[in-house]
Amino acid sequence: MGEVDSDLIDIESMSDESLKYFLKQNAISLTVSESRRIIELIGRNPTLTELHIFNIQWSEHSSYKSSRAVLKMLPTKAPNVILGPVEDSGIVELGKINGEKYGIVVSHESHNHPSQVVPYEGAATGVGGILRDVLCMGAKILATADPLRFGNPNGQNKNKVKYIANEVINGIAGYGNAVGIPNLAGDVYFNESFDDNCLVNVVCLGIVKEKDIIHSYAPKNAKDYEIVIVGKPTDNSGFGGAAFASLIIDEEARESNRGAVQVPDPFLKNVLIRATYEVFRQAKKQNVKLGFKDMGAGGIMCSSSELCSDSDFGAEINLDKVHVSIKDLPPYIIFCSETQERFTWICPKKFTKTLLKIYNEDFALSTIAKNAKAVAIGKVTKNQDYKIKYRDKIVCNVPIKAVTRGIQYQRAFKEPIRNFAEPKLEEPKNYNEIALKILSNPNVASKEKCYKHYDRNVMGNSIIESGQADAGLIRAVPKSKYGIALSVDSNPRYGKINPYLSAVNAVAESMRNIAAIGAVPAALTDCLNYGNPEKPEQFNDFVEGVKGIKAAAENLYLRKTKNPVPIISGNVSFYNESSKGNAIDPSAIIACIGVMRNYEKAITMKLKKQKTNLFLVGNRKDELGGSVYYEINNILGANVPDINFKEHRNMVYAIIDCIDNGLLLSCHDISDGGMFTTIAEMILGGNADGNIGAEINFNYPYLRNDKILFSESPGFVFEVEDKNINKVKTIFKKYNLIVHKLGKTIKKDSLKIINSKKTIINLSIEKMKKAWTSGFVDALK
Amino acid sequence: MQKPKIAVLYFPGNNCEEETRDRCIDVGMDAKIIRWNSKENLSEFDGFIIPGGFSYEDRIRAGVIAAKEKIMDKVEKEVDNGKLLLGICNGAQILVETGLIPGLKDKVEMAVAPNINPLVSGYYDAWVYIKLSNNKKNAFNQFYKNNEIIKVPVAHGEGRFITKDKNLIKKLIKNKQIIFQYCDNKGKVENKYPTNPNGAVNNIAAISNKEGNIMAIMPHPERASFNWQVPNSIKNNSKTNAIKIFESMKRYIEENKL
Repeated sequence: MGEVDSDLIDIESMSDESLKYFLKQNAISLTVSESRRIIELIGRNPTLTELHIFNIQWSEHSSYKSSRAVLKMLPTKAPNVILGPVEDSGIVELGKINGEKYGIVVSHESHNHPSQVVPYEGAATGVGGILRDVLCMGAKILATADPLRFGNPNGQNKNKVKYIANEVINGIAGYGNAVGIPNLAGDVYFNESFDDNCLVNVVCLGIVKEKDIIHSYAPKNAKDYEIVIVGKPTDNSGFGGAAFASLIIDEEARESNRGAVQVPDPFLKNVLIRATYEVFRQAKKQNVKLGFKDMGAGGIMCSSSELCSDSDFGAEINLDKVHVSIKDLPPYIIFCSETQERFTWICPKKFTKTLLKIYNEDFALSTIAKNAKAVAIGKVTKNQDYKIKYRDKIVCNVPIKAVTRGIQYQRAFKEPIRNFAEPKLEEPKNYNEIALKILSNPNVASKEKCYKHYDRNVMGNSIIESGQADAGLIRAVPKSKYGIALSVDSNPRYGKINPYLSAVNAVAESMRNIAAIGAVPAALTDCLNYGNPEKPEQFNDFVEGVKGIKAAAENLYLRKTKNPVPIISGNVSFYNESSKGNAIDPSAIIACIGVMRNYEKAITMKLKKQKTNLFLVGNRKDELGGSVYYEINNILGANVPDINFKEHRNMVYAIIDCIDNGLLLSCHDISDGGMFTTIAEMILGGNADGNIGAEINFNYPYLRNDKILFSESPGFVFEVEDKNINKVKTIFKKYNLIVHKLGKTIKKDSLKIINSKKTIINLSIEKMKKAWTSGFVDALK
Repeated sequence: MQKPKIAVLYFPGNNCEEETRDRCIDVGMDAKIIRWNSKENLSEFDGFIIPGGFSYEDRIRAGVIAAKEKIMDKVEKEVDNGKLLLGICNGAQILVETGLIPGLKDKVEMAVAPNINPLVSGYYDAWVYIKLSNNKKNAFNQFYKNNEIIKVPVAHGEGRFITKDKNLIKKLIKNKQIIFQYCDNKGKVENKYPTNPNGAVNNIAAISNKEGNIMAIMPHPERASFNWQVPNSIKNNSKTNAIKIFESMKRYIEENKL
């Protein structure tokens, strides 16, 4: 076994009690049995540095030790997948432009725990990390999206909830705006299960030519290539961040956990990204193959070990060469700290000079942030040892695969007792009042206060901005008409009732959102936010969620095929529970990536013309479990919308065909708040400046009016001109679907809904606007 | 004839340099991004654009550090003899901090202060309307008709043109230096939100120097140059009227070249 010159920790002869005490004293969250397993793996007692390495690598965050066995069931392969979820980002095919294949690079992560402890920095570093994940594939970064979940803004923790919500939004804006990446999509839900544990997920998109992809592993024949780190000088920030991400947030430990949150520097990142684009250009010019990886969890240790191990190399690193901002840090902190704004390169010697010059001279990193630079710290070795030196001593010398292999657990899961029933709710007398209450519910109301704080059109590529439609759309490549669409979804109230159906609905809705602008779903990513995997009931929620994603992805199909919609990137965030031990509502947050061959055909949700026709596809059903309508009545219910996969995919692909043929003027999917909300939002438009009204008139006596209007069963409402009605009907007929005419758009600025000659709702646009634009603002106030 | 040649400056923290360069190229000029520490000879350029972003992370005040960079001395020397200089958003803030805008005295005469906005405090991103404030032609407004409404986004936290000098605004009006003002979709200039997104005095969206070869503009024309960039417009590659600012620069350079 590998020789070392530093002291060994005598785990072997320590009693369980004294080992436990030792681990706690050193802030190591490995269990006693895990610590003893290290000896089996490396054949001797570990050094303190080695112990810290395994502590991080075996954390839930880095090793996926509880989730990996379950995640295997997800479909990750399809003909359009260029790279599945194995490296820092996944890549799905955009299409061929001038004979060259382009890939959409996607990453999806969470930064939940840091955001709960220090919301501004936590959210900002969440954005920072995801940008690095996409950049390090050799991609140009194009856009981000942020699904956010906060506690109840009117509940007992309302002040803290509002504080966290505002700071998270500021953190996202403060980072993304400064770097200059447009915010393309996102959603916000409030719910008391997030009172002690907010969710801050972040998605990032990039674009790369297939032949220019840089991998997160050392290239072929990389023996003696140099290991170069670049960015901010290493400090002690974020040390143990990966382990922290895998802990339950304890109020008392909050202070000590603050140190585990990294410090964001978007200014340095802005320059680093531009310098890195220049490295891409030079490497391409000189035909040099490189390995490149973001430094996230586990810092230099994690990035260097994975870069080398994944191509069966070892590494030799001298920690004295690492540029630091704090003197005399212990080696394991230099090695494992999660200081932000850093990357690791694997670089052939002949190119190192060019690489260092770009960062250190052309972009003068040290003038941007004190002592920031690029520096070679070691080399790739043919033997598969991981040998780390510090002050002339070998502090770590273990087989590299032992470090990267990780561990796995088969966690027990048990179906919890769920007793949900449909309520006996009287039919409302005053529908206008209920309708306005729904529009002003913070989960429905316009999020303009949030997205108007984000730069949505920097880079000049934005076609449909956040808030204008069900999905955002950006131009993919200059001079081409390809667009990339993005949407995110997950309803926590569905998750509380049924984690399986909640995941199914999240996948289905994210696809409807993409279809509603006319783009074609190409891939999915998932960020799986759950409670404590060591508790069988909470782990069961996770297993059910994964099953739901699998079922939906496999049955909703890529367009014109029977292939699943592949999951190309994702993340698992466990231990999202309050100090009382209550888990958050199960949240499988899904992002769907869509491709649009010609962005000129894209449509938004806003009504475009008077005297056109409004149609519905997707039958209204008694499916109000977890609905906004029940929420405003303070009930949860039981009937979460069930998805008929065949009908759903037909609906999605019929809508896409209609938009592709230019037959629809506007389109909006039915989800939170039901069909009424869909129509109201089409009238208002994303900026609440709409002035075309609608008169809805149908004969449907089979379901109560509140269920017709507020059920969240999947569907679409869309606007068609007279001349196109038959063409639209023909397309839907081809998919064996019937569309229902709902009514007309009108000159009058109001929404009138009539069922069987009886007026149910009659509201002016002005009133709806006031309700819809105030609910979210009030929640944050 | 040689194409007009534009240098788009990049100070650390700027983030609109690429799309600004692309718009220059789109209207038929040559354009190149020049880093703040570049040793390149600036005399070969016919015009300069300082793009949007957060140069030096808005430390102290937006634009103030970049305004004191050496490269700005060189740029000033070049524009002294009539070459063009456009500052967009952060670039506009930098031009105010150099004193080049409004440029009536040899010192800083104005500020671009934090927005006053009832919905969002700090950084605010939204589409607004602007139009010409007077009928005097300069290097940047050659193609605009009076009352022509331009739809364009703002994206800034500090965009409120203000001044302590009570007479300055009168002078700017008299000199016809206020180029664009915020208006509503019918062209009405009313000093209230959302027409005026940041509370700028006199609804000022863009100011030029007296000679009309330097302009500071807060909204982003480079993000509103094609129909597909504009929300709820018919999505096609037709140019919108915001791109006329770049087209105007091109014509001005071509016509004034010796």
